[in-house]
Amino acid sequence: MKQAAILLNPRLLSFRNKGFAKDRSIRLIIFAGIGISFWAGIFAICYRVLMYFQRVEGIGNILAYKLLSMVLLIFFSLLIFSSILTSLSNLYMSKDLTLVHSLPVPGEKIFLAKWIESTIDSSWMVVVYAIPVFISYGIVFKAGPFFYIDIALTLFPLCIIASALSSIMVLLIVIILPASRIRSVFVFLCLVLVVILYMTFRLLRPERLVNPENFASLLSYLNNLSAPSYPLLPSTWAFDSLKAALIGDASCSLFNVALSMSCAAFLIFSSILIARAIYFKGFSKSQASMARPFQHKKERLDKLFSFLSGPTKSFVVKEIKTFLRDQAQWSQIFLIGALIVIYTYNFSVLPIEQSPIKSVYLQNLLSFLNVALAAFVLISVTARFAFPSISIEGSSFWIVRSAPIPLRTFLWIKFFIYLFPLLILSEILIVVTNLLLNVTPFMMYLSIITLFFLTPGVVSLGIGLGAAYPDFNSENPAHTVTGFGGLVFMIISAAYIGAVIVLEAGPVYTIFMSGIRNENLSYFQLLWIIGSFFTAFLISMLAIILPMRFGEKRLMRGFFR
Amino acid sequence: MIDLINLSKHFGNIKAVDILNLSVSSGELFGFIGPNGAGKTTTIQMIGGLLAPTEGSVIIDGIDMAKEPEKAKKKIGLIPDRPFLYEKLTGMEFLKFTADLYEVSEEAFLENTEKILNMFSLIDRAHELIESYSHGMKQRLIMSAALLHEPLLIVVDEPMVGLDPRGIKMVKNLFRSLVAKGTTIFMSTHTLRLAEDVCDRIGIINNGKLIATGTINELKHTAQIGEADLEEVFFQLTEEEISL
Ligand SMILES: Nc1ncnc2c1ncn2[C@@H]1O[C@H](COP(=O)(O)OP(=O)(O)OP(=O)(O)O)[C@@H](O)[C@H]1O
Ligand SMILES: [Mg+2]
Repeated sequence: MKQAAILLNPRLLSFRNKGFAKDRSIRLIIFAGIGISFWAGIFAICYRVLMYFQRVEGIGNILAYKLLSMVLLIFFSLLIFSSILTSLSNLYMSKDLTLVHSLPVPGEKIFLAKWIESTIDSSWMVVVYAIPVFISYGIVFKAGPFFYIDIALTLFPLCIIASALSSIMVLLIVIILPASRIRSVFVFLCLVLVVILYMTFRLLRPERLVNPENFASLLSYLNNLSAPSYPLLPSTWAFDSLKAALIGDASCSLFNVALSMSCAAFLIFSSILIARAIYFKGFSKSQASMARPFQHKKERLDKLFSFLSGPTKSFVVKEIKTFLRDQAQWSQIFLIGALIVIYTYNFSVLPIEQSPIKSVYLQNLLSFLNVALAAFVLISVTARFAFPSISIEGSSFWIVRSAPIPLRTFLWIKFFIYLFPLLILSEILIVVTNLLLNVTPFMMYLSIITLFFLTPGVVSLGIGLGAAYPDFNSENPAHTVTGFGGLVFMIISAAYIGAVIVLEAGPVYTIFMSGIRNENLSYFQLLWIIGSFFTAFLISMLAIILPMRFGEKRLMRGFFR
Repeated sequence: MIDLINLSKHFGNIKAVDILNLSVSSGELFGFIGPNGAGKTTTIQMIGGLLAPTEGSVIIDGIDMAKEPEKAKKKIGLIPDRPFLYEKLTGMEFLKFTADLYEVSEEAFLENTEKILNMFSLIDRAHELIESYSHGMKQRLIMSAALLHEPLLIVVDEPMVGLDPRGIKMVKNLFRSLVAKGTTIFMSTHTLRLAEDVCDRIGIINNGKLIATGTINELKHTAQIGEADLEEVFFQLTEEEISL
């Protein structure tokens, strides 16, 4: 244990050293502010929903419990989901591993240290944002202090179980898969994650909660809601314990805590035993990189881009090859894929047809909401790929600096490389979801055009701010987006998209209304509509140009201190 | 070929390079020596355009690095001290990348790579990912890439680190033959024997200041040592500086 603690030390120290930097405190305040408002938002929503349930005669409590069990199930899958990714990168891909493995410390101790690290990494955020949900339960149900202690008692083993299960899975997968290529590990993990995602959806059956009409009678609806959950799932133990604590049944609650704790302890020891046997072996295996020759498919990209000038072509080809061969990107692609699947899934189950208010107003609102959601997906994809794309150059950035091309050209190359795939992605997304929503042709064209302008703006913000706040020494460049620059990127992009949507929504509403009333638009209205659209266009142009300039200037200054 | 005028670089309070004036003429092999932290790498990075000077200017073949960086950089082949490359490309792909970057024609590329890869004994491994290369192999690849566009000026920071004896000998000969063809080479090194063997002229830098320049004989004269080698000159000159 002591050795494992020593191994954790460097991380603590570097965290502390960072903490002393001056400008960090401002960032910290901004982060904390945003974090707290999220937290408060979750609390407020949850509180209101529970209060609403309380007012529903008869089935209020059943609904609240059902919601709690769903929250815990989602919580548990989220934990597993993030632990798999963090433990894979912490155990096999982090940069200090070659150093750590050379130390006179047995493999399972290294495993333990890395495991503790990834448990904390993967669960703290989930825990922090789950707590307001539980607290609102405590307040609405007027639970005693024992309930609040019980929250900690149930969440702790749940995190441990999720993390231990994931690390065992990762340990085994790396050993079992024959190739020395981590890429296949990722493909495999992706499959596992898809299964988890699917199972969560199936276990939840969210549509049943939304649509009581689908059940023949209220009785069968109630039966369905109060049907026992799956007794072997760790999230069920947590649910049983919390539910008992809510009613004040301490002994039943503690029994379930004990159940979770013993399972957690068992899993920790098993994982250490497994690590002793196979961790180092797996690690050495994962270190061997692809030594196989690549010549078969050479020159194909070269030919494809031969219309570009030499320096431009060289960076485009390098960028694409590097991206495709970097396994770390694969996990990200998968995450994005999951995001998009969930996004479109939501639309396919939305009961729009049955909606009682079938007004133009609602349709209008929904299609703008859809543009906003698509833009949100766009922001997150940009944050994952385009934003870190400057930091990812890392120590090899000297090549760019010594190259006979201006920094500006380099940044614009990056811009276009990310623009095309993102544009295709967001257009497909908006067309598909708009078809599912059955929007009017006018809204379809408007959304397509809007995203056509929004996408370059967001990409430019991503590249520009990524260049303005780069981190060339980052262990994992994809994480740079969690820093200050990433935060600025998210805020400005959200504000930009919000502004454009607001500027468009007003005029569109006027046009619709005048269409319904069969009136002609007045000159003033016409002027206002044109002005509004023109402003949106202007903002988009600025969003494309300004961030890139800013990024170029800051990046220059970075080197030329 | 290189003119450094009042070149200075400050990192906060540290004067890494302090009012350095130096000219290196065409076809000269200039050696740059000095203790750790003297400012060699910083000077080289300014010559290569990786770092802008706090003050002063870098003129490459009559072109001011601050005014026309792209034009100046095109004349330079830079070999940094640590071989950071695009690990996900193969050696051959990296050479193609450099060739495109410096707009080397297709024919010249095919002709030169074959020759250079043979010279650096990389031909068998050229189609493997760079991440699977050893340290010395990466160093060789960087050198190959720097030579590919036949630069007028080669700027190299500690060329022999990580090379095996055969590699060192090959690079020595290569440098001499390049210089004979009119290429200029600016090289920093800790290997005094190397400097003594191949350099036409040597500059000694300490604490960011150029404390002496000249041929070996001139340096000996400055240090007022009769029959000593460069090592003793080096100790004498840098020691004096410290005791001042
Ligand atoms: N990025 C930087 N930030 C702050 N100080 C720096 C930076 N780079 C170099 N220095 C400082 O500048 C001085 C000169 O460093 P430089 O790397 O040029 O030395 P060097 O002669 O190449 O040494 P070595 O022989 O060890 O390679 C040192 O004092 C160093 O600490
Ligand atoms: Mg150096």
